[in-house]
Amino acid sequence: MQVLMFLLKRFGWMIVTVWIVFTISFFLMRHIPGGPLNGERVLSEAVRARLEARYNLDAPLSEQYFTHLWNTMRLDFGPSFKLQDYTVNEVLAQGLPVSAALGILGMVFAISIGMTSGVISAVRRNSVYDYSFMLLATLGIAIPNFVLAAMLIVIFVFNLQMFPAAGWGDLNQIILPAFCLGAPFAGYIARLTRTGMLEVLGNDYIRTAYAKGLSPRTVVLKHGLRGALLPVVSYLGPAIAGILTGSLVLERIFVIPGMGSHFIEAAIQRDYTLAMGALLTYTVLLFVMNTMVDLAYSIIDPRVKLE
Amino acid sequence: MVRFLRKYFPICLLLLAGVSVIWAVNLGTLPPAEFVFNNGTEVKTIDPAKATGVPEGRVINALYEGLLRSVPDGDPDELGRTPTKPKAVAMADDYRVSNDGTVYTFHIRDNAKWSNGDPVTAVDFAWSWMRFLHPETASEYNYQLFYAVNASKFAFVDLQEGDPVEVEMKDRPVPGQMFPRGTVRHGRLVSLLQPHDDHQSAADDGHGHGGGGISGAAIFVVEFQQDGTVTTAAYTTQAVESEEIQALVNAYQGEYDLSELTSVEHVLFDFEHVGIKAISRNEFEVTLNSPTPYFPELVAFYPLHPVHRPSLEKYGDREFTKPGNLVGNGPFLLKERRIRDRLRLVKNDQYWNAENVHLESVDVLAIQSETTSLNMYLNGQLDWDTKPPNTLIPLLKQREDFVSTPFLACYFYRVNTSKPPLDNPLVRKALNMAIDKQSIVDNIVKGGQIPARSFVPPGMNGYESAYCGEYNVQEAKRLLAEAGYPNGQGLPTIEILYNTADSHRDIAEVIQQDWKKNLGVDVSLRNLEWGTFLDTLRVGDYMVSRSGWIGDYADPNTFLDMFVTDGPNNQTKWSSRAYDNDIERAKYESDPAKRMAIFKEAEQRLMDEQPIIPIYFYVSLNMVNTRVKGFSANLQDVHPLHLLSIDSRGAED
Repeated sequence: MQVLMFLLKRFGWMIVTVWIVFTISFFLMRHIPGGPLNGERVLSEAVRARLEARYNLDAPLSEQYFTHLWNTMRLDFGPSFKLQDYTVNEVLAQGLPVSAALGILGMVFAISIGMTSGVISAVRRNSVYDYSFMLLATLGIAIPNFVLAAMLIVIFVFNLQMFPAAGWGDLNQIILPAFCLGAPFAGYIARLTRTGMLEVLGNDYIRTAYAKGLSPRTVVLKHGLRGALLPVVSYLGPAIAGILTGSLVLERIFVIPGMGSHFIEAAIQRDYTLAMGALLTYTVLLFVMNTMVDLAYSIIDPRVKLE
Repeated sequence: MVRFLRKYFPICLLLLAGVSVIWAVNLGTLPPAEFVFNNGTEVKTIDPAKATGVPEGRVINALYEGLLRSVPDGDPDELGRTPTKPKAVAMADDYRVSNDGTVYTFHIRDNAKWSNGDPVTAVDFAWSWMRFLHPETASEYNYQLFYAVNASKFAFVDLQEGDPVEVEMKDRPVPGQMFPRGTVRHGRLVSLLQPHDDHQSAADDGHGHGGGGISGAAIFVVEFQQDGTVTTAAYTTQAVESEEIQALVNAYQGEYDLSELTSVEHVLFDFEHVGIKAISRNEFEVTLNSPTPYFPELVAFYPLHPVHRPSLEKYGDREFTKPGNLVGNGPFLLKERRIRDRLRLVKNDQYWNAENVHLESVDVLAIQSETTSLNMYLNGQLDWDTKPPNTLIPLLKQREDFVSTPFLACYFYRVNTSKPPLDNPLVRKALNMAIDKQSIVDNIVKGGQIPARSFVPPGMNGYESAYCGEYNVQEAKRLLAEAGYPNGQGLPTIEILYNTADSHRDIAEVIQQDWKKNLGVDVSLRNLEWGTFLDTLRVGDYMVSRSGWIGDYADPNTFLDMFVTDGPNNQTKWSSRAYDNDIERAKYESDPAKRMAIFKEAEQRLMDEQPIIPIYFYVSLNMVNTRVKGFSANLQDVHPLHLLSIDSRGAED
């Protein structure tokens, strides 16, 4: 019941947020110079007038706003201006799974690498492992992902010839971009896990566990890790947001036809409808992810109450 | 439930991650294609009537085929360039031109077929060209067909009383879809009723090239003749109840019977009176306003490729381009399309010349990043890279797989002739002469480009370009002094506008220094993001602006007709009656030598007045794997996919 109320409330807030995002971006988009019908070749007036009528661009701004809002409420984002063979819905339907695949793999990299090295660092505190992992973590956080991408391409594509340079389609092609995407988050997660772990390992109940004769592996993985997980889970919200928006540049470098590519191109080309569609999808996605993180948090930690 | 979850949460999380990874990895994989190239960007559309741009052209020329095809043909010139010629090696196997040069008759080959097996007929072409010109299609390239008699009247709804008209009723079988059309009735426009104050201007013949047509409220009184009986009816393309139409009805109530005014989809100039006709199944006739020697070039150009009517009518204007729906008549078929990733083309067995198409499958990639594209080429993922990064050209130039040659394109600066002091031709000429173009070519772009002393690139058949003078600082200073600014005194700061890109900035900086050093002119630079840049150019809010132009066909007209007074692509506010007359005169000149002389005269006017400053002529830049055969450097940088083949012996090296 409590969960249901929580979800309902979140849903209400999401609708309000989406509406505000819609309104602000609608007017911002139309007030920057340029428009979807401008190209290097200038259109004759007659053709321009026809095209404006086709896309309802000749109507007063307020009328356009309400028509667009009404269509958006029915989840119909209209035709794309610059991908004329597609509707915005089709473009999003093709782009979202690609970005999701990249994001999930990046997240898996971040969590698995981050937590493993975090736990090792905590257990072997002040050892060579600890120092080197934490150095790597700092580097991972500090190096922007496009720089990392360039370095990895030189090493793995041209020197070792292990991976293709770019493209999308098979596992080989996902690994490099997913790794670049996940690296800074792996760094953060490693540091969070280490700190959380150290704090937990100093607790009385850990000492009790050892005293009862449990093996170090059981103590660390079963009792220690559970407590250390909390800060990591609470970090997942911002991490997911970062992964979503962080893929914009990487998609360009690795030629991945995901949401990021469509969003950037739509903004540059003044593809009003596609830009709006992508923006609202991002908004909803972030909202849903944050809600899920909150839910997960309440599941692992009984002290957290949903509200 | 929560307790259970709490206990097994880490395991749940792991499971979830595992399942997601498996799902992510299994997202559509394609077997590799035989030939892969980078098209540079995602194509806007693959509908020939709506497409513009070079990347679109590469794909559309593979999926469809026009009456003629521009193919590399003949011996290379002194720069190693093969000329391209429009030839009847396409849907038409022959064509003839009447003696006065105005009637073209194309013969469509008997074995011309659509990819579903339907024959390609003259009717397909007539219908496709009608759709291309139809105002509702709003094709950006529609002016390419305005050489045909009455075509612009049809496209612009440019109607006079007495004209034959076609009326399309509001009964389209599929609402909201342009084709199939509603019932079309053919009649004669008896009266055109418009609000009184602009009635005069509508009846005027003063519509220029730029538009004409009927704007605002209008009622069309049309007369129909059927079996000797004459009926009239009144139509409007707006809602009958709308205020404007009701006002019109009240104004003209006494003169005409408007009681049965009907709202219709379109009232257009009757297409049956446009000079585009299917005479028989194989004979297609086009009547032109004037002899147009480069008309075959236009016919070979991709916007005039035909589309398959039944599939378009079945799936609608957008859906017919989808893989599976698309029926083409070109050497390749569309197998799959992933947005901003690739188009997969496969060989079309129904193509009339399928036995000479060597590639079984082609991947057309939409890679925007030049660096990534080069990486993929060097890594063997691409066979043809269409845009290697400028900064690496000096390095790449030494490789044998670098194919480059000057082609029909010019990099130039537009000068806004309405902004003082640039309204003075002497100042513009001085600016031109003070630029060391050779140094820009040698030190900045470095790809073997040619410094431009004219606007029309060299290599046009039978055309010798005009001349705007060499780099000459003394002369430039003298001109500036003559204009009243000795040593640049009194000259305001001149601003160079360019769209954000390193290459444009580098060139602008050199010109800034040249002007400062040679003329004492202060120059500021302003860069704008592409969309904003185009808008700024269009409204004329600039002094000097970076521009470029790629010729659509191998005739000076594609460069020179830009700068007629108020031409949409003029954008310099420059206007010269004499120049306009020349361009118009060239249209009606049937003797090729005389015509070229007229063009040269016109270009010389352009160079003397200098509303534009040519900087250099582009070179085509291609990286092509040496195992690819049939790739020749040519004047228009066109490399039809169906002429390419893979030498498998090369692959084993």
